Amino acid sequence: MSVPKFRTSINDFLEGLPETVLIRLFYSPATCLAIFRLLPAMTQLFIMAMLFNDKPVAATDLNLWVQEGSSSKQYDALEKLRGMHLVKQSQGMLTLQKTFRAGLRNALSGGDHNNSFGIPCDTEDKHKVDIKFLDEHANNQWELILHFMVGTDTGKVPNNGVLSLLRHSGLMEGSTPSNMRITNAGFQFLLQDVNAQIWTLLLQYLNMSEDLHMDAVEVLHFLFMLGSLELGQDYSLAALSPTQKIMLDDLRDYGIVYQRKSSSRRFYPTRLATTLTSDTGALLTASASMDSAIAQKEREAGFVILETNFKVYAYTDSPLQIAVLNLFVHLRSRFANMVTGQISRESVRKALSNGITADQIVTYLTVHAHPQMRKSTPLLPPTVVDQIRLWQLEMERMKTVEGYLYSDFSSKNEYDTIAGYARDLGVMTWEKPNKRMFFVTKEGNQQIVDFVRRKVHSGA
Amino acid sequence: MPRAVKGVLVECDPSIKALILSLDSKSHNIVLADLDDEHLLIDVPMLEYVKRELDSQLAENTFKPAELDNIQRK
Repeated sequence: MSVPKFRTSINDFLEGLPETVLIRLFYSPATCLAIFRLLPAMTQLFIMAMLFNDKPVAATDLNLWVQEGSSSKQYDALEKLRGMHLVKQSQGMLTLQKTFRAGLRNALSGGDHNNSFGIPCDTEDKHKVDIKFLDEHANNQWELILHFMVGTDTGKVPNNGVLSLLRHSGLMEGSTPSNMRITNAGFQFLLQDVNAQIWTLLLQYLNMSEDLHMDAVEVLHFLFMLGSLELGQDYSLAALSPTQKIMLDDLRDYGIVYQRKSSSRRFYPTRLATTLTSDTGALLTASASMDSAIAQKEREAGFVILETNFKVYAYTDSPLQIAVLNLFVHLRSRFANMVTGQISRESVRKALSNGITADQIVTYLTVHAHPQMRKSTPLLPPTVVDQIRLWQLEMERMKTVEGYLYSDFSSKNEYDTIAGYARDLGVMTWEKPNKRMFFVTKEGNQQIVDFVRRKVHSGA
Repeated sequence: MPRAVKGVLVECDPSIKALILSLDSKSHNIVLADLDDEHLLIDVPMLEYVKRELDSQLAENTFKPAELDNIQRK
């Protein structure tokens, strides 16, 4: 599911950082709050229990908060805390990391005045923009990128920063804007929901920024600060470091912030920014709120109806949605407010051969299901879901491995030694001891050949 | 000294194996060795050919909605 997936990715990234970097991150209260929001519920509970308690807490005290039978969740929560260096454990007592404790307390009780939550502008903006404009702008910028990926001819091409990000993240390949092609990973990206897509790109940006010698800590500070800004409020550039100002330019291209021109002294976060770290529960509500937020007109969150006879009716006129549907549905007719088509073996096989999995197709249909569909349980007709999965299995009827077949061993001993060596190396794919034959992968073959030669040399 | 033969190990179920063997019976240049009920050794350059033939043979027996369209139009 997309929401847990993006969480785990940013969490994985944070857990992969060394302790010193994490402590630098914790200096900013906005970051502490954002990290707190990204944690699972039980972890948040433990942190709150320890937050305003200056003394260390016994690990066994935490058992009071946990129901019988949930001890595995408790263990997971503690592991998460340890992994992100949020607690130190000694002799059964847990202490919250002191920078994190100070930062989170600040964030919650509004203590220190610092710039980590962004400085709102106090001067009037002559060219003030409203929330509707921001939503439209974000929508246009984001869709521009997605359209470019799908290959719809809009005539406008995203600029070089965006293109190099797409290339680096493996979502598209190619050297010039005119010959860039989408990759398998790119297809999977298209089927994710907007929040997950943004985080995927931002994580790639983080990875790239380390190569460009931008400080990862400042990049993360800025991202988490964006997550806590208020929609419709303009913020001043005074709080930003030079690295963050460079980031601002890049984020403008993705539609995450709006700046009238690059010399403006203020910027507006769009809805894409303010929902970056929002703590949303169910996947459906997250995508529903994002979709309705990004909608240019009054539009239902879900718009796809799937019938048991494999026919699909999609109530949309957005070229992007239609292009994405075209990836795995054989679209037949288009009307003013909807498109219809059928999910056929051909269309699904085409999608599968492009690298999309059956699970992603099913998830996409579930996420964008029309509210009418919600009346039936299960949501999607089981016949169709099963058939899509069966078509995927059909593609995998044959497993092939390139390599070498060894046979004609002169004695059982010889077979046992060489086969044993191959097995230990892990390069053996198949063997038949009573016929004294086995198969070795192409990559592992050289080692087996060397081994046999050595044996012949020494043993004769 | 053992003998090493270069090839592609194909792991599949018996029905697919039978299909590949029948393909081979016409040209005799695909299968190098019949290993057991679920494994075959085939020649490396013939792999793509085998995959395509298999696909087309399996697709022969499936219903294509596009065909229905053509029939309805007539």
